Amino acid sequence: MSTTSSAQAYHNNLVGPVMRAGDLAQAVIEAAKVDNPGKEVFVDDKRAYIRIHTEHEMILRQATIEEELGRPFRMNDLEVDLSSFAGQIESRDDSVRFYFAKKL
Amino acid sequence: MAVLNRMDWYDLARTTNWTPKYVTEDELFPPMLSGEFGLPLSAWEKYDEPYKQTYPEYVKVQREKDAGAYSVKAALERSRIFENADPGWKSVMKAHYGAIARGEYAAASAEARMMRFSKAPGMRNMATLGCMDEIRHGQMQLYFPHEHVSKDRQMDWAFKAYDTNEWAMIAARHFFDDIMMTRDAISVSIMLTFSFETGFTNMQFLGLAADAAEAGDHTFANLISSIQTDESRHAQIGGPALKVLIENGHKAEAQKRVDIAVWGAWKLFSVLTGPIMDYYTPLAHRKQSFKEFMEEWIVAQFERALTDMGLDLPWYWDIFLKDISQTHHGMHLGSYFWRPTLWWNPAAGVTPDERTWLEEKYPGWNDTWGQCWDVFIDNVVDGNMAMTYPETLPYVCNMCQLPILGTPGKGWNVKDYPLEYNGRLYHFGSEVDRWVFEQDPERYAGHLSIVDRFLAGMIQPMNLEGALAYMNLAPGEMGDDAHNYAWAEVYRALRETRKAG
Repeated sequence: MSTTSSAQAYHNNLVGPVMRAGDLAQAVIEAAKVDNPGKEVFVDDKRAYIRIHTEHEMILRQATIEEELGRPFRMNDLEVDLSSFAGQIESRDDSVRFYFAKKL
Repeated sequence: MAVLNRMDWYDLARTTNWTPKYVTEDELFPPMLSGEFGLPLSAWEKYDEPYKQTYPEYVKVQREKDAGAYSVKAALERSRIFENADPGWKSVMKAHYGAIARGEYAAASAEARMMRFSKAPGMRNMATLGCMDEIRHGQMQLYFPHEHVSKDRQMDWAFKAYDTNEWAMIAARHFFDDIMMTRDAISVSIMLTFSFETGFTNMQFLGLAADAAEAGDHTFANLISSIQTDESRHAQIGGPALKVLIENGHKAEAQKRVDIAVWGAWKLFSVLTGPIMDYYTPLAHRKQSFKEFMEEWIVAQFERALTDMGLDLPWYWDIFLKDISQTHHGMHLGSYFWRPTLWWNPAAGVTPDERTWLEEKYPGWNDTWGQCWDVFIDNVVDGNMAMTYPETLPYVCNMCQLPILGTPGKGWNVKDYPLEYNGRLYHFGSEVDRWVFEQDPERYAGHLSIVDRFLAGMIQPMNLEGALAYMNLAPGEMGDDAHNYAWAEVYRALRETRKAG
């Protein structure tokens, strides 16, 4: 039984949230596109959870998510549906950043 | 009224170290509980938690999470999901709740140790919230299964598994005691929150949620994915502790703790999560194979993050990559064969369609594990049911407490990794299990595996009946085939067709 694919899975630079499905996840997908111009946003919908990733770094801004949701939203409200994330996280008042310190 | 932004006051508010005047620093933070790394308070004040949360925010967010999880349960309570669920799916729930619910309180205790004994103020703050998280997880995962206790006696194991000597429970306790009940605050942050919670809990609480959603069990999917939103915050407690240790020249000690915890978690998940994903979950509802979930969560996400923190891949990385295609198949075959010793009814999961799926996901399955199942299936079809139950005990590893196994077929590779220590001969299922023991023999040397207990005469009478009594399994609780062997009908029909042909 081959282990090639398993070993390859490690070589990636994808960062970003893994959201529980729902309207917040949909808003985050849209916000990821707006807040990370020029970057491709990879969306992997597993029904119970949705991976929303970009290469190396992703910024999500409170104002953008609020606009996409169409209702008041505070940055730490993200946690309600943020079930996991890839990369390291940096939390700020009005944005959150996912990143890798080292590029593979 | 003008309100300061959180980040304007957060750092100051949680700067809660002071210089003790009436006791020494070691009396305030005993090294055995705070971590014997020889680092003073000032070194730990550099600890900077990346995922920040304040108490008022915590209360607001948690209230919202609970409102969601409990309202889904209430809305679906009358939908008879449990009654109508495939028996294999019921077994998923039973295995999950029994192995995990009460352990959440142990995790709360470990968080409380960080809350009191960590020298890092930021860690104490995050662990305060983490402790409340784990209490929430304990409460929910006892409350949610309770509605099913009156329908199915095995559901009672959600409440009592932790108090029994059932073999899988001994294995689970051995692991959880090792990484969270008997470690100092800093080691807990590395072994429980970083190694276990940023890594493996995603498998059980998100990977399995994907299967649950496919199976239509939205109460369970919603519950466990909600739990994981807490985990994703407090799992971040360990990362900054790793950074402090690495910056202060303690990388090797940090790495060792990660390597020990990841291996133990892997072995436990190979018996708990592997079989339920690849065999119990009805075929139509399997989102991915166990191996694919392992690659997604552990290889691509966790191990990638681990190296980004400045650590190395575990020394046993190649062994691990090989084992994620193999070990859980043996764990399934073994736990199914010894099924009276389980508190759930395992699904065999080996119909022709399921075997096609297994062969596709694990090329070579039919020539290895399939050969064993062929014999088993023949016995069932022939009505030789006595041949489908064990007469002897398996050999159990003195580290992971799980059967020592290899991959059957041409490459049969089962091997014991023995070690003599203080006049006692220990047996291990892998080089890595033995390595873990060797890192701190005194920590593990006194423990008796279920087989050691049997050989020591602690289990009487020395037969299956005595073993079941020792494991607290009463008739009506002990496991048998989830589908009452109905799946074998297709093989009986195939045999009739061949005869007729």
